[in-house]
Amino acid sequence: MATRTDKRNVARPTPVPAHVHDHEHDPLSLERECCVVPDLPSPAGSPLVALVGAPNSGKSTLFNGLTGLKSKTGNWPGTSVDVARGPWRSGGVTFDLIDLPGAYALDPLSPDEALTRDLLVTDGPGRPDVVVVLADAAHLARSLYLVTQVRELRLRCVVALSMLDVASVRGLTVDPDALGAALGCPVVSLDPRRRVGLGALADAVAQSLAGGVPAPRTTAEPDADELAREDERFAFIDAAVTAGTRDSGTSRANWSDRIDQVATHPVGGPLVFLAVMWAVFQATTTVAAPLQDALDSFFSGPVSDAAAAALAALGLGGSWVEGLLVNGLIAGVGMLLTFVPLMAMMFALLALLEDSGYMARAAVVTDRLMRAIGLPGKAFLPLVVGFGCNVPAVSATRILSNSRQRVLTALLVPFTSCSARLTVYMLVTTTFFGANAGTVVFALYVTSILFVIGVGLALRHTLWRTMGAEPLILDLPPYQRPTLAITAGVTWVRLKGFLKTASGIIVATVCAVWLLQSIPVGLGTFGQVPVGDSLYASLARLVAPIFAPAGFGAWELVSALVVGFVAKEAVLSSWAQTFAIADGDPGHLGGHLIDSFAAASGGHPLPAVAAFLVFVLAYTPCVATLAAQQREIGGRWTLFGLGLNLSVAWLAAVVVFNVGCLL
Amino acid sequence: MSGPLTRVLDAFGAGAASLAEVEAATGLSADVVSASVDHLVRLGRVDAELLSMGCPTGGCGTCASGTTEGAAGCGAPGPSLRRRGPALVALTLRRPRVEAGN
Repeated sequence: MATRTDKRNVARPTPVPAHVHDHEHDPLSLERECCVVPDLPSPAGSPLVALVGAPNSGKSTLFNGLTGLKSKTGNWPGTSVDVARGPWRSGGVTFDLIDLPGAYALDPLSPDEALTRDLLVTDGPGRPDVVVVLADAAHLARSLYLVTQVRELRLRCVVALSMLDVASVRGLTVDPDALGAALGCPVVSLDPRRRVGLGALADAVAQSLAGGVPAPRTTAEPDADELAREDERFAFIDAAVTAGTRDSGTSRANWSDRIDQVATHPVGGPLVFLAVMWAVFQATTTVAAPLQDALDSFFSGPVSDAAAAALAALGLGGSWVEGLLVNGLIAGVGMLLTFVPLMAMMFALLALLEDSGYMARAAVVTDRLMRAIGLPGKAFLPLVVGFGCNVPAVSATRILSNSRQRVLTALLVPFTSCSARLTVYMLVTTTFFGANAGTVVFALYVTSILFVIGVGLALRHTLWRTMGAEPLILDLPPYQRPTLAITAGVTWVRLKGFLKTASGIIVATVCAVWLLQSIPVGLGTFGQVPVGDSLYASLARLVAPIFAPAGFGAWELVSALVVGFVAKEAVLSSWAQTFAIADGDPGHLGGHLIDSFAAASGGHPLPAVAAFLVFVLAYTPCVATLAAQQREIGGRWTLFGLGLNLSVAWLAAVVVFNVGCLL
Repeated sequence: MSGPLTRVLDAFGAGAASLAEVEAATGLSADVVSASVDHLVRLGRVDAELLSMGCPTGGCGTCASGTTEGAAGCGAPGPSLRRRGPALVALTLRRPRVEAGN
């Protein structure tokens, strides 16, 4: 079933610029402009009745009901437009019924609509004696535009009103007599599918024919501008709808609207959004944690042992091959694979939220927030996408029409916490915060939003002072029941992307890290050097002091951040490699992290962990994001963004650690 | 009193964020607001744009990004007509064109 959304934009032809058909809005010019209309005299002098209405309004069903399928369909002479024609017999009277092509209005946007317009506005033998306009009671105002235009012509008009049952479900009751009085033409209720009301329609057409052609309705002044003319028509429509319908209010009181009253409320909306996201992270950690532990034990136990035994059998035990395979690839990639259940769980929950329509409400909440802080409303979409992956989010800034807005939003995207960072959060929070891991992860996502707001405001009031606002309205789709097929499909697409990263970038990174960890600095042989004496550790030690004020200035911790520059998943794999090689076996990564943070922070591991997580959240997500930024906003802004991310991340980490130590 | 179309445009300009807020600001029924917005789109006074909010069921091949720009990928501005599920429509006021030489 087509949604409200589908009807609005997708199926429509591209609107023609107003100036192209300005003259067509003038009712007088409608009458004057004669086009070439084929000469089709009514057979045997029977009155010619034209059936018009919007495309897919049920016009053909009504036509078949009226003619009993005794009709002929063919191209209208001189055109390629299909027109059906047949005798309509009722009460001893025969009408010559023509089913004209569907049209929303008499301002043609297609050859079909042009034919309908030409036939109605042109005097001549092909002009109908009566026009029956099929109107949809469930979308009455939209249907009445065509009626309004027909009423501006010197034609007899009868409105056939269908879809009353659908309108009734929505709480709308239509009074045909009152509506007819407001429109100045008869209105007949009918149901073409059940062939109800067809006799009454024939009677109304016959009565209309018995009288003279009514005077066209009074329109706006001929010299009024386009908007004034259209406003006058819509005022006429509004008056007719008001006079002819009664809204019981039940349409607004349906369950979907009731939910929206809370979900999009200026205060309640953000609270609901936060509650939903907390539930997602809590459910993810609670359900996936046991599976993750089991997989961790599997890779660090049987898989590593089997690989080591196989290599020993081949005479490669203790060699660099074992180091690369067991302590490198199996430890690194295996660590990442333990996150598959967690990511699958989260992707599935987010897919459920999307498929149900809730994410569209979250977008309204975000949009409102964007406006409140003076950022472009449409920026919400790239930022929402950014919580999945920053790379498409940077590309999605193309929806912004203003280049300054694009640059600003592309600089903010890296502050949205992508799913790759979630793997780091999960490992660290489950290690240090146990059962409260879900809440801590949730807090990180809230921090991510605060970063977007804070940095956005700072940029908005410094570099982007002159950026104009762009009014934006979101038309929400109705809620719907999520389907298993769509949820599973979307989950799989995203999980596949996660696994692709694991199998590509991570393997390459693991090999590079292994190579650096195998190269000795000073004495030693390749592949046999303690990791602390390797080139990898030496390089990391150069950087580590920078992070001492943030409480995690140990080379084992900082080296992972450097590797994480490639991709955040690589943070885990590099830790797994580092600690596995240091101990000679993969062991339990969590224990190593606890020791490292305790040593680096001078006895304040939790503030140091919090600072580390905030740094991971705010610094450059990955090289792919930088590449996307370079493509979208150019090299200079990309460099600016790189510096911005690193500066903000470092400052925030230092503040978090030092404030945490005081508490 | 101005007509429905002008009132809807005014509500846009005043910062209404949803059609429900337009209804509240204009006092018009949902049906008339919806028809007015459709007509403003038809007149070219308002741009309507479907926004994709996530990956489509059919994967990248059916993605908005893939079909509107001729190649598979993420993040293109337009949605795929084959995309299923709820989608947002963003409505924006179209700015008047500045004629050359002005």
